Amino acid sequence: MSKDHDDYDYLFKVVLIGDSGVGKSNLLSRFTRNEFCSESKSTIGVEFATRCIEVCLEGKTVKAQIWDTAGQERYRAITSAYYRGAVGALLVYDITKSESYDNVQKWLKELRDHADSNIVITLVGNKTDLKHLRSVQAESAAEFSSIEGLSFVETSACESTNVDVAFKKNLTDVYHIISKKSCSSAEVDDKNGGAGIIEVKAISESSKKNPSKCCNV
Amino acid sequence: MDQEYDAIILGTGLKECLLAGLLSVDGKKILHMDRNSYYGGESASLNLKQLYEKFKPGQELPPHYGRWQDWNFDMVPKFMMGNGLLVRVLVHTGVHKYLEFKAVDGSYVVKGGKTYKVPANDKDALRSSLMGMFEKYRARSFFIFVQDYEKDDPRTHKGYDLDVITSRELFKEYGLDPNTVDFIGHALALQTDDSFMDQPARKMVMAVKLYSESLARFETNSPYIYPLYGLGELPQGFARLSAVYGGTYMLAKPDAEVVYDEAGKACGVSSEGETAKAKYVVGDPSYFPGKVRRVGQVVRAICILSHPIPNVGDSHSVQIIIPQKQTGRQSDMYVFGCSFAHNVCAKGKYLAFVSTAVETANPTAELIPGLQLLGAIDEYFVQVSDVMEPVNDGSEDGCYISKGYDATTHFQSTVEDVLEMYKKITGKDVNLDADDPAATAGQEQ
Repeated sequence: MSKDHDDYDYLFKVVLIGDSGVGKSNLLSRFTRNEFCSESKSTIGVEFATRCIEVCLEGKTVKAQIWDTAGQERYRAITSAYYRGAVGALLVYDITKSESYDNVQKWLKELRDHADSNIVITLVGNKTDLKHLRSVQAESAAEFSSIEGLSFVETSACESTNVDVAFKKNLTDVYHIISKKSCSSAEVDDKNGGAGIIEVKAISESSKKNPSKCCNV
Repeated sequence: MDQEYDAIILGTGLKECLLAGLLSVDGKKILHMDRNSYYGGESASLNLKQLYEKFKPGQELPPHYGRWQDWNFDMVPKFMMGNGLLVRVLVHTGVHKYLEFKAVDGSYVVKGGKTYKVPANDKDALRSSLMGMFEKYRARSFFIFVQDYEKDDPRTHKGYDLDVITSRELFKEYGLDPNTVDFIGHALALQTDDSFMDQPARKMVMAVKLYSESLARFETNSPYIYPLYGLGELPQGFARLSAVYGGTYMLAKPDAEVVYDEAGKACGVSSEGETAKAKYVVGDPSYFPGKVRRVGQVVRAICILSHPIPNVGDSHSVQIIIPQKQTGRQSDMYVFGCSFAHNVCAKGKYLAFVSTAVETANPTAELIPGLQLLGAIDEYFVQVSDVMEPVNDGSEDGCYISKGYDATTHFQSTVEDVLEMYKKITGKDVNLDADDPAATAGQEQ
């Protein structure tokens, strides 16, 4: 997770979770590349994708590094490592599949077990383009979200409705939390915790004498 | 799961996940299963809940330990050599991008009941209080020989053929006394016993070279690095790599079993009434009863402390080696320390691991010299593990079985086993030089 050399104020890791086939990868590709693929193949070959956005009126740039499950959710085999360092999560269900909505409860438990306790979670009901097949009502999902303290957005990755809204809502909420404690606890931890984070990379590069110590957000 | 795969891999230990990653990147269709509901198999990092389930089933978690999620106990404690094969495989596969690492603060060796910082190069040797004045200069010339040694440059060989001269003879050439030989062999070359002394010196010299190059790679106070959240992150990183390349993952399959054809060749795996077919099956020894034998045992104690390990400069992460001669044993004892700074325990707590090869009928008592270095211990858990290895090489029965995790302090032998298995399976080598051209010593061993 080394810092790229483009210009941003914050780097946030955001994870996508939810049942197989709810459209996580398409939300990711719509948000980061404005692409949509209607073939219902499981995710192969995607590690993570990034996009920089401006948050609020303060003109701060946030680089979102968004992680896809790589299909490991299919048999509930997501690694606990997937959630490490994530500050935001989009928990996605399919508004035409009530089972995927019922499973939101389980995914929420998984997030609360494995992710940082301050993680910002946005519940996303995807596939609003399939109006005639809707089986999950927006009202009940909105009510559930307010009880659980989540934000809630309905999206269509296919028609590109609300996708930016969902990600930006999540990232803005994360930004507000992080910027409030601007002298972040991570820095304080490093001071009393021995050596700092080191950057592992090929020797041919590191021998160019880049600073060997690097602080990741 | 009723499908056909190139390979089915059983167990999600580091070795199996590394193979899954390498084979998936090659375009092989992989199904990877584990009987446990968590990744890592024998080499997992367990959280507090899982640790208690394993060692103290039915007991409540002590509330003063805080959140169970904040704990990651390595079941096979090791450190990563900065320039070792594991780091090179991480760079080769890009899996280093999924993880964050910290340098280990220090490396120490016990002599006459005292702990000393391990001198690792010519400059350290002159400063070390481990040796007397004249011995320092002799050690310094030995280090300079090792640092300068290049296999392809005969001028650096100083007339020694490392494939002929033994370590014992080479040490004699430099006039090193038995104490110096002991720390070079055990704290730098990291040999677990003294069998290297009468073998050709190349292995030992390359191991010392690896140690000093590892120190230089990250410009740190020890040659080691360690991943945040514990070693269990490593298999998970390689599993993600495999998944990114299309590998299918299933956990919590307690009944997973290898299926053999009439000729006795592995042809698939069955679980919950379904059978997946494959050209061959790869896995850790526990999935292949009758096809493995025990070659030794390792005893490991996991200790929770409320203070840093004493006498090592309040380090948050440290290795202490107790060479066999110091305890009158056949094999060395290793102490590892890490702390909340590595996200492996609650704030203010420290973890220490003591491990060694089992030599007696009372393995726990064997650990006493290591446990005595730790000061007050809040709680500890002892585990004795069998080290198993395959009886066959897999060419006939289609079973490619990894060796168990040995008592060594770092991952060199672990990755060597994986690279050998990869070659047996695919007929080719993994070319690590292409990614990391300037790193040499790790490969040459």
